[in-house]
Amino acid sequence: MFIQQIMNWIHSLPPDILTKVLRVAITVVLGLFVVRLLAGLSRRYVMRKATPQRQMIVRKLITYVGYTLLIMAVLAELGVKLTALLGAAGIVGIAVGFASQTSVSNIISGLFLISEKPFAIGDVIQVGDTTGIIQSIDLLSIKIRTFDNLFVRIPNEKILSSSVTNITRFPIRRLDIVFQVDYGQDLGRVHEILREIARGNPWSLDEPEPVIMSSAFKESGIEIFFGLWFAKSDFVDVKNSIMRDITTRFAEHSIRFARPARVVTISGARESELIG
Amino acid sequence: MQKTGLAVWEPVEIPQKKCARWRFPQKNIWVERVESEWHVLSTPGTGKDDESSTSLIGRGQKPVSSFWKHYLHRGTGPLQPSPVLPDRPIVVRPDRSLTILPGQSTIFFLELPVWFKLSITGHQPARIFEEPLSALTRTWFGDPVTGELCWGLATRLHHSLDSVGLSAYIAVCPLMIENTSETDLGFEKICIHAENLSIFQGEERLWTNSLHAQFMGPEQSTQMEIVHTPPEFEPDLRLVSEARHPSTGWNIRRTFGVLKYFTDF
Repeated sequence: MFIQQIMNWIHSLPPDILTKVLRVAITVVLGLFVVRLLAGLSRRYVMRKATPQRQMIVRKLITYVGYTLLIMAVLAELGVKLTALLGAAGIVGIAVGFASQTSVSNIISGLFLISEKPFAIGDVIQVGDTTGIIQSIDLLSIKIRTFDNLFVRIPNEKILSSSVTNITRFPIRRLDIVFQVDYGQDLGRVHEILREIARGNPWSLDEPEPVIMSSAFKESGIEIFFGLWFAKSDFVDVKNSIMRDITTRFAEHSIRFARPARVVTISGARESELIG
Repeated sequence: MQKTGLAVWEPVEIPQKKCARWRFPQKNIWVERVESEWHVLSTPGTGKDDESSTSLIGRGQKPVSSFWKHYLHRGTGPLQPSPVLPDRPIVVRPDRSLTILPGQSTIFFLELPVWFKLSITGHQPARIFEEPLSALTRTWFGDPVTGELCWGLATRLHHSLDSVGLSAYIAVCPLMIENTSETDLGFEKICIHAENLSIFQGEERLWTNSLHAQFMGPEQSTQMEIVHTPPEFEPDLRLVSEARHPSTGWNIRRTFGVLKYFTDF
C-alpha cells in the first residue's frame, strides 16, 4: 500500500525533476561508495605499514574531503550556485573559526602528537594523576582506559602542554623500593639479603644488576634504596613478590624496619620524679 | 616399566587407568588421558637424583593437585616427548672470566638445559605442552632500549667432552670462538640464540648445532655461524627437534657481552 503510494507520487512528478532526483540519488550512492572504497584501500594497501594514528588521519582526511566534494556535487546537480555558497561559507568559516579556537588548537596539537609519536595505541601513560592504556589517538583528543576500567578523554592541547610519562615505552623497567631500617642493623647483612632476594625472584632480571644503596640517615632509621629490573609486562608479579619476600626474609633474619621513634633524655631529673 | 637416561625421550603409550610420569632432577611431569582430554601436571623435582626416568604408574599414585592442566585432543597417542631448546636466547656466563688473545681460537662445550615438549603422534599430531626442566634466570642482553630479554645461564666452560657429564636434560653446544682481531677478547658472557638451534640425539648425549663465533674487533659485530649439519663429536646423530626459527647463512649479531661497545653498561 505504502509502496504503491510512493510509486504514484513518483509517476506524478514532472520528468525533468524525476531525472534530477535520479541523478542526485545515483551521485550520492556512487559518491558514498567511492569515498568508502578509497578510505578502505588507503588503510589496506597504501598505509599498511603506517601507525594506527596515521592511518586514522589519512582515513579521516579522505572521508571528509570526499564528503565535501560529494555535497558540492549534489548541490551543483540541484542547481545551487556554488560561487555564492562558497563566499557565504567563507564568512561562516571565519565566525566558526573564532568560536572554535579550542577545537582548532586541539587538532593542531593532535597533528603534532601524531608526528612526534611520544606514545602509541596500547602504551601505558601517565598524565597528571591519570594512568591508563591508550585506546585511541584522535585529532581532538586521546582516549585512555584506566586500570580501574574508567574511560578518560584528554584533549590533545592538554597532552601537548603537560608532562606525559610513557611507562611502557622501553622493554624493561626498574622497580624502586625505598624503605628505612632501624639504626643498629647490620647494613652489610641487609644488602646481602636484598641481593639474595633479587637473585631468587623469578621475575627479576639478573642484568642489569639490582641497585642496592644505603642512601640517607633519616630521623628514625637508615634509608635503603632497592631497585630491581624487570620486563615491563611483569610489573604486578615482581612488585607483589618482592614486597612479600622482603617482609618474610627480614622477619627471618630479625631485621627491623624503622618506626617513628623519639629518645627523650631529661638531664638531672630524679627517677622518683619521672615515675611520679 | 622404567626407562632411564636418553630413553626418557622415547614414545610412550599410556594404557587405560595408567598415568605416565617423567622424572627429572628439578621437575616431575605427570600425564594421563581421560576420555578425550589429556591431563598434565608438573611438580618440582627433589633436585637430588641426577638420573632421569620415565615410568607408568597406577592412577591412584598420581598426585592430588589443583594445578592439573587439561588439554582437549581426541588423539589417543602414542605420546612423543622431545627435548627442545628454550624459547628465548640464552646468555651464557662462564664460571670464570677468560681472555682470548688476538689470533687465538678455541672450542668450548656449553651445557644448555632443554625443555620438555610433549606431542601426540598419529594421524592428528599435535603439541600438547612445553615445560622447562630447570630454572633459568631472566636477564637482559644489550642496552635498556634496544636489547632483548633472554634466559641467563651460569655454566662451566668445558674445553673437552670428558668433563661434560651424561645427561638427558642437557644439550651440548659446541662453540668455536676465534679472535681474528688485534685486541684481546674478554669472554665474560655470550648470547646464544637458542631459537635458531636444532637438537640432535646420539647414543650418549643430546647435541645442538655447532656454533662458530668470529670476533673481529670491538667496533665490528661478531659473526656467528650456525653449522647446520649434526656435530661430529658423536656418530649417528639424529634430529629430534627442529629449531624454533631456523636460520640460514651467517648471522651478524651482537654476541659478546663483555665490551661496553656492545652493551653500554
